[in-house]
Amino acid sequence: MAKKDHWENTQDPHLLYTEAARSEGLTTQDAPSTKEKPEFNIIGRDTLRIDGHKIVTGKAPFLNDIRLRGMLVGKTLRSPHPHAEIVSIDLSKAKSLPGVKAVIGLDREKAQYIGNRVAAVAAVDEQTAEKALKLIEVEYKPLPYVVSVEKSMEEGAPRVHDKKPNVEKIRDEKRGDVELGFKEADVVLERTYKTAIEIHHPAETHGSIAKWEGDRLIVWDSTQAIHNVRDGLARSLGIPAGRVTVIKRYMGAGFGSKLGLNAHTVIAAMLAKQTGRPVKITLTRKENSLCVGNRPTSLQTYKGGVKKDGTLTALSLTNYTTGGVNRGDRCSEPLLDVYRCPNLHVKEYTVYTNMGGSRATRAPGHVQGTFGLEGFLDELANEIGLDPLELREMNYTTKNRGDTGVPYSSKGLDKCYELGAEKIGWHRRNKTPGAGQGSTRRGLGMSSQIWWGAGVPGTLADVKLYPDGSVDVICGTQDIGCGTRTHMAVVAADTLGLQPKDITIKLGNSDYPWAPISGGSLTTPSVAPAVRDASLKAADHLKEMAAKKLKVSGEDISLQDKKLVDKNNPENAISFKELARDLRRETVFHGERKGMPDGFAYNTFGAHFVEVEVETETGQIKVLKVVAAHDSGQIINTKTAESQVIGGVTQGVSTALFEQRTVDDTTGTLVNPNWRDYKIATSMDIPEIIPIFVDVDDPHINILGTKGLGEPPRIPIAAAIGNAVYNAIGVHIRETPMTPDKVLQALRQKEAI
Amino acid sequence: MKEFKLAQPQNLAQVTSLPSDQRYFLMAGGTDLLDEIKNEIIDPGVVVDLKSIPDLAYIRSTDEKIRIGAMTRVSELAENSTIKTNYPVLHEAALSLATPQLQNVGTVGGNLCQRPRCWYYRDPQVECRKKGGSRCYAARGRNRYHAILGGGICHIVYPSDLAPALISLDAEATIATANGDRTVPLEEFYTLPRVDVRKENILKANEILKEVKIPPSKNEGKSTYVKLKERGTWDFALVSAAVCGIVSGNTFKDIKIVLGGVAPIPWRLEKAENLLKGNPVTDDVVKQAAKEALSDARPLKENAYKQDLAAIAVSRAVLSLV
Ligand SMILES: Cc1cc2nc3c(=O)[nH]c(=O)nc-3n(C[C@H](O)[C@H](O)[C@H](O)COP(=O)(O)OP(=O)(O)OC[C@H]3O[C@@H](n4cnc5c(N)ncnc54)[C@H](O)[C@@H]3O)c2cc1C
Ligand code: SF4
Repeated sequence: MAKKDHWENTQDPHLLYTEAARSEGLTTQDAPSTKEKPEFNIIGRDTLRIDGHKIVTGKAPFLNDIRLRGMLVGKTLRSPHPHAEIVSIDLSKAKSLPGVKAVIGLDREKAQYIGNRVAAVAAVDEQTAEKALKLIEVEYKPLPYVVSVEKSMEEGAPRVHDKKPNVEKIRDEKRGDVELGFKEADVVLERTYKTAIEIHHPAETHGSIAKWEGDRLIVWDSTQAIHNVRDGLARSLGIPAGRVTVIKRYMGAGFGSKLGLNAHTVIAAMLAKQTGRPVKITLTRKENSLCVGNRPTSLQTYKGGVKKDGTLTALSLTNYTTGGVNRGDRCSEPLLDVYRCPNLHVKEYTVYTNMGGSRATRAPGHVQGTFGLEGFLDELANEIGLDPLELREMNYTTKNRGDTGVPYSSKGLDKCYELGAEKIGWHRRNKTPGAGQGSTRRGLGMSSQIWWGAGVPGTLADVKLYPDGSVDVICGTQDIGCGTRTHMAVVAADTLGLQPKDITIKLGNSDYPWAPISGGSLTTPSVAPAVRDASLKAADHLKEMAAKKLKVSGEDISLQDKKLVDKNNPENAISFKELARDLRRETVFHGERKGMPDGFAYNTFGAHFVEVEVETETGQIKVLKVVAAHDSGQIINTKTAESQVIGGVTQGVSTALFEQRTVDDTTGTLVNPNWRDYKIATSMDIPEIIPIFVDVDDPHINILGTKGLGEPPRIPIAAAIGNAVYNAIGVHIRETPMTPDKVLQALRQKEAI
Repeated sequence: MKEFKLAQPQNLAQVTSLPSDQRYFLMAGGTDLLDEIKNEIIDPGVVVDLKSIPDLAYIRSTDEKIRIGAMTRVSELAENSTIKTNYPVLHEAALSLATPQLQNVGTVGGNLCQRPRCWYYRDPQVECRKKGGSRCYAARGRNRYHAILGGGICHIVYPSDLAPALISLDAEATIATANGDRTVPLEEFYTLPRVDVRKENILKANEILKEVKIPPSKNEGKSTYVKLKERGTWDFALVSAAVCGIVSGNTFKDIKIVLGGVAPIPWRLEKAENLLKGNPVTDDVVKQAAKEALSDARPLKENAYKQDLAAIAVSRAVLSLV
């Protein structure tokens, strides 16, 4: 039976994500050469998604479309109490309900939050499974609980975890001497910023189907991490990893909430084992709201010193963050890294509460930290009467850790500033925040962004050539909706002189060559270089074959327009298809994403520029325009890259203005576990979005010079909106979401001063 | 979801003659009712599908009155050209509500009889006063969307956009009962929680809202609907103002102001009406009147902003008519 401790990735999910995103400790000597950038034909251009038609016409199979013969429906019974001892569970009544095939108690002594799993059933259909859940008799002994951060920090507050205090320090980092730095400053300012809990809410809720074939387990999962799920399942069930296959076909996003093994997947496997039939469990929207993660809050107090010319002399941050029963997010990474500042002190604390645990959420910590830091910089700039963009330029650095570390492998943030400012018309901003007249005010704001996103060395991909001229690209990555299939096809086609539609993409199966999780902006910079490596090997092999046929040397051959051509005599050529026949059997070329040289920091950068309109009478904010300039190195496919930016900005607008998990502090219940009351932006709320990719060469990072783009467009948007609102009305809304009530209150406070 | 039986009556009499001790729920478009059933807010027993009854969906002009059948879809109301021309307030309210998808399925009767959206009421695990319990959880809990007027024992806001618009037009409701039809002003159709906290209107067990009637529009009659919401669409009103008046120059000979989103019933703002009637309307006069009329508001911990918004909605609506 499953070992309880291994039910979910016991590894801290935040660590899992950020460590992978950093790609630390994986550098090797096997670094890419710094020779000239190759010429590309398809890479860097617009290619329509190869699966786009299938997706928008409803033909692409998502988890819920998969129906297996004899498949049962699994459901989970969850605790209605925020904190309770489970005294006893009686399954007998549920078991005797006709149509119920298995009922299991989940061997748990305590429920720590509303939604904590307690028992599970498998039945012939959903209604029967739901009925069975009601027949499970659980005796709870309610325990004292705490769901508000403030109360949890009070002395004598009920303990959330038996073995740790409610408040734990999660970071204490210093450099230089902040007190000295404050003394050197002309202006010292202190401000507090707050961000709400955001729920991932992927369009497709979590779900898994488990099926046993003898001692082999096959799982279809809605996951960002097929290999992690496979390893986790093997560990939990005590079976060899090689006997587990995890398949993920099409997916309606995850945003970090599907990065590891989920309890419901293990439960499905256990129920399938017991019943000898496949079992499907899909979570409801409510379960999705309660128990598969959220973005932790932040309560960030900044103190900063600045000279009149804009030089930062010292910055300090104290942050309190709650991720319910899980750890909160460290928010200080941008602060520690992106601007030159010799004196710095960061203290961060996590506060536990009896609420569903956090999980990595698209740019964990960076989103919250950027809202605080970049908002604070604008307030500092205003104090000294400086253009906020100039303040950032003034403290620009090409070395990480605030100019105290190693050089960035490339940093195009300056170009992002230049192009973004030009495109939005930065000169139009109010020179003094709130300078406009009337009840409808416009303003401009901006924010920088830093993230990791170098990719993971060791990622593998195969290119398989068939004698009929067809080509497979095979990689155990997953396309979670971002267009991975398309970028793989683009890279292989470009390298082999073919078109993307000529390539058959095989991914989403853990039996395929290893690739990392799709999270942390890892996928493209991991997978694309591996595909490139394998494709180059295939190309070399074909060139040698063609050279013999065409009686020239392999170096003289180029692959273009589905042909292998003698560069010196274009008439002398052979078609790809004809040449492939000579392969006689399928031939596989193994590619790998190699390591990166030591001595550099590998990061992505960007800057967002936003124009807003604020109605001072109603407190309503309308985002009019967003210019999103990004340095993500070599763009593989501009079409899907732009989609990525539009998606990130959309999600950012949504959380800046609307999204907030709302909890009743007295009862511990989540009052908005649905899409009516948990408000997500609609198409009517999304402005014109103009993505810009700055052309920056990174010779160190990988053979394609490509960096990730998953989180970057999500990071600076809320801060840029906040700053634009500040520019429009002269008061800073220091809390997300910036709803009308907060805007009105801030305006009122300003009037009162 | 609890199991239920589906009844498909052929006429209204079959519904009004149902024994009053039987537990059943009327279903029009089902956009609200199904949500309640699926989330187990109600245990329906029998669902009576009004769609099987012929001739309940119509917009007719008779005796110069406009009669709107309860089963008329909101989208039909929004598209009707007479309503668009003569009763802008109703047209605008219909277009403002929910989303095009919901307008296509939801009906006028369903919209006028929909249940409140209080998130405690919609939580199957919470048994608040409206569900027969002894507490109002919103009073001291999370209440940013709740009532600032008329609350007391239950602080819901009545969620319908059509109701304030229709009331501002002096609409009447026709109710089918076992003893034939009766007609009441729509304004009197809605009842405060203190009358019966479990209900929002006067309908008795086997009564049905059959149609609404709007009196003929007057020549100088003008009307408008201002809805303030958080998002661009798919959002209930934070507050809304339906204003209908007879204007000459910059003076209202007659005016009716009804607010949505502020109280458990569509809230008539008589005080402001009286302050405005017969007086030349200027920016300051309207703002003052709105403010004064709303000074009775009793906001809860998180919804004081609604008092400001209500005043703005009233001012905007009134000023747009002169
Ligand atoms: C996400 C969402 C957003 C929405 N936003 C808005 C909004 O912004 N503004 C707004 O006004 N509405 C809004 N609505 C409400 C929507 O307009 C209603 O769901 C719809 O109008 C109800 O119509 P229906 O025909 O589907 O009613 P049903 O769901 O069939 O019925 C609703 C209720 O009325 C009762 N009922 C129905 N017809 C009659 C009748 N003839 N006589 C007596 N009782 C009857 C039913 O028993 C039930 O209790 C929203 C709804 C949703 C789901
Ligand atoms: S406002 Fe009404 S419906 Fe909401 S919790 Fe209070 S009593 Fe219940």
